[in-house]
Amino acid sequence: MNRLLRSKNLILTIGLTIFGIVLVVILNPDGYLRVLLNLLTFAGIYGLSAIGLNVHFGWTGLLNFGHASFMGVGAYVTLLLIPHAAGREGDITTTGLPLFLALIIGIISAAIFGLLLGLPAIRLRGDYLAIVTIAAAEIFRLLVRDLENITGGVYGIISYSQNLQQHRPGFVTNLATKFDIAPSQTWVCLIAWISIVLVLFLLKRLNNSPWGRALRAVREDEDAVRAMGKNAVWLKLQSFMLGAGIAGLSGVLLAFNYGSLETTVFIPLLTFYVWAIMILGGVGSLVGPIFGSIIFWVIISETDRIAYIFFENANGQQLAGVRFLLVGFLIMILMIFRPSGLLGKKEELLLDVK
Amino acid sequence: MSSKLIEVNNLKKSFGGLQAVDVESLVINDSELTSIIGPNGAGKTTFFDLISGFQSSDSGKIVFKGKNISKLQPYQIARLGMIRTFQLTKVFDRMTVLENLLFSASSVKNDSLFRSLLSSSEQKKYEKDLNEEAKKVMTELNISHMAGSYARELSGGQKKLLELARSIIHKPDVLLLDEPLAGVNPKLAEDILNLIQKLSDEGIVIIMVEHNIEAVMQISDRVVVFAEGLLIADGTPNEVRYNPQVIEAYLGNDDE
Repeated sequence: MNRLLRSKNLILTIGLTIFGIVLVVILNPDGYLRVLLNLLTFAGIYGLSAIGLNVHFGWTGLLNFGHASFMGVGAYVTLLLIPHAAGREGDITTTGLPLFLALIIGIISAAIFGLLLGLPAIRLRGDYLAIVTIAAAEIFRLLVRDLENITGGVYGIISYSQNLQQHRPGFVTNLATKFDIAPSQTWVCLIAWISIVLVLFLLKRLNNSPWGRALRAVREDEDAVRAMGKNAVWLKLQSFMLGAGIAGLSGVLLAFNYGSLETTVFIPLLTFYVWAIMILGGVGSLVGPIFGSIIFWVIISETDRIAYIFFENANGQQLAGVRFLLVGFLIMILMIFRPSGLLGKKEELLLDVK
Repeated sequence: MSSKLIEVNNLKKSFGGLQAVDVESLVINDSELTSIIGPNGAGKTTFFDLISGFQSSDSGKIVFKGKNISKLQPYQIARLGMIRTFQLTKVFDRMTVLENLLFSASSVKNDSLFRSLLSSSEQKKYEKDLNEEAKKVMTELNISHMAGSYARELSGGQKKLLELARSIIHKPDVLLLDEPLAGVNPKLAEDILNLIQKLSDEGIVIIMVEHNIEAVMQISDRVVVFAEGLLIADGTPNEVRYNPQVIEAYLGNDDE
């Protein structure tokens, strides 16, 4: 019975996702492929980040509101290690590590940042952890902005895309040229979705493992976990590091998608977008964030066109207002009909926080 | 014959001006079933919290198996073989009964991230053994039919049973039970009492806080009475039953 219900949910979710994609095609008769590619790239990157957040919140019950900083640490560490140009004068650094090595270091740095942030903060419960993480994320962002000598500050980092694009296989370029879409973004999009598959493969293993079981126990009742002789703090720290590492990877991909990076990318809004995607997809669900992410980006990117249909003579500013009304309205509708998210388990709806 | 397993010396804990626990000396020996009774607010649960590490004492010393445990974390004390339950039952709500038991029985090594990532055949075999173990305990406690139910779907009494099962499967040397009979129907209470008796017979040292005096008198080897943080009586059930200080603590002083 439960299984039947779940497969019904999955069909419904896939249906909704396809509907969203068809909607994009209809609303963008010219060049819908370009719009779709852009949408799927962002959806993949944000979805990956939401998968990381799900390890924190869905699996372990950690209220992390500083997710953007983990993405930021991953992105900045990786970009600064590879050849790039940074700062007001665009100082060029031609030497650097190979991208793959830098990426690994970037991901590990994000995980270590999670550990350093977690060591003092993870003993805090619920909303207190939320406050500390959101503050730490802002401190990180302001620090990166002010350390202009190293990070490029408000002028950001540029000229690093080549590090990734030089590894672009020929068939991707051919395919992109054939369909008249940007080869560089096609490549980023492909990597994002390959990463999702790999990460999900690992997480599926972990979710069904004794370690995943231990995290769920921490989510349910920390005191009982301690009373069973398990080190709850260490389990929470491991979860924090794993989720942070995944976020770090998504941050690097985000940087390569933009082609230039500066600190305003990592404002709290990014964290809240990722939260919205996770809740929309279903807290605790493995693949939920992917569908949540696609539907979220359909809503974000197509609402201005829908608004335009209703108000033909409106100016841009008015449209922007209507657009966010629509975003809120659509997300509300989804949450009313599917309060546990698209693929969330009803038994796990109770969002209590430790 | 019997030897000292737990030794408490000058254990003190106060909350603001209130002296919650002030125990000069208490020794728990091997193979004893001890009950702690006393009026509400006597410091019984705080005493449990202190020896299981959930609260830190202001001063004093707790020795368990020859080790000073007064500065240890709860999980470290549990690993030494002292397992406790809680007055307000703590089960893992959104996990099944079986998962509750498996988590408790699983070793720290088995829970490790890297082992889980590798998902070795060794781990699979270990998990299979755990499953067998859990089935045995569930049969013993008559909860096999609930194996697949989420713990939050259980009734209050069933949750008490689950918590007990989760403690037993850990194979403790000492079991601290905080009101195991509270809110349990008479039939189930009898089952739980029999179970506690059986565990004691099997050699597990049991210390129990309980308000049901009848039950306490029936199964305890020894009764310790707390009042206002102080240990006021200690002896066999019969010795304690007629102790004037105990009667006074429960019924109040006529002079006041």
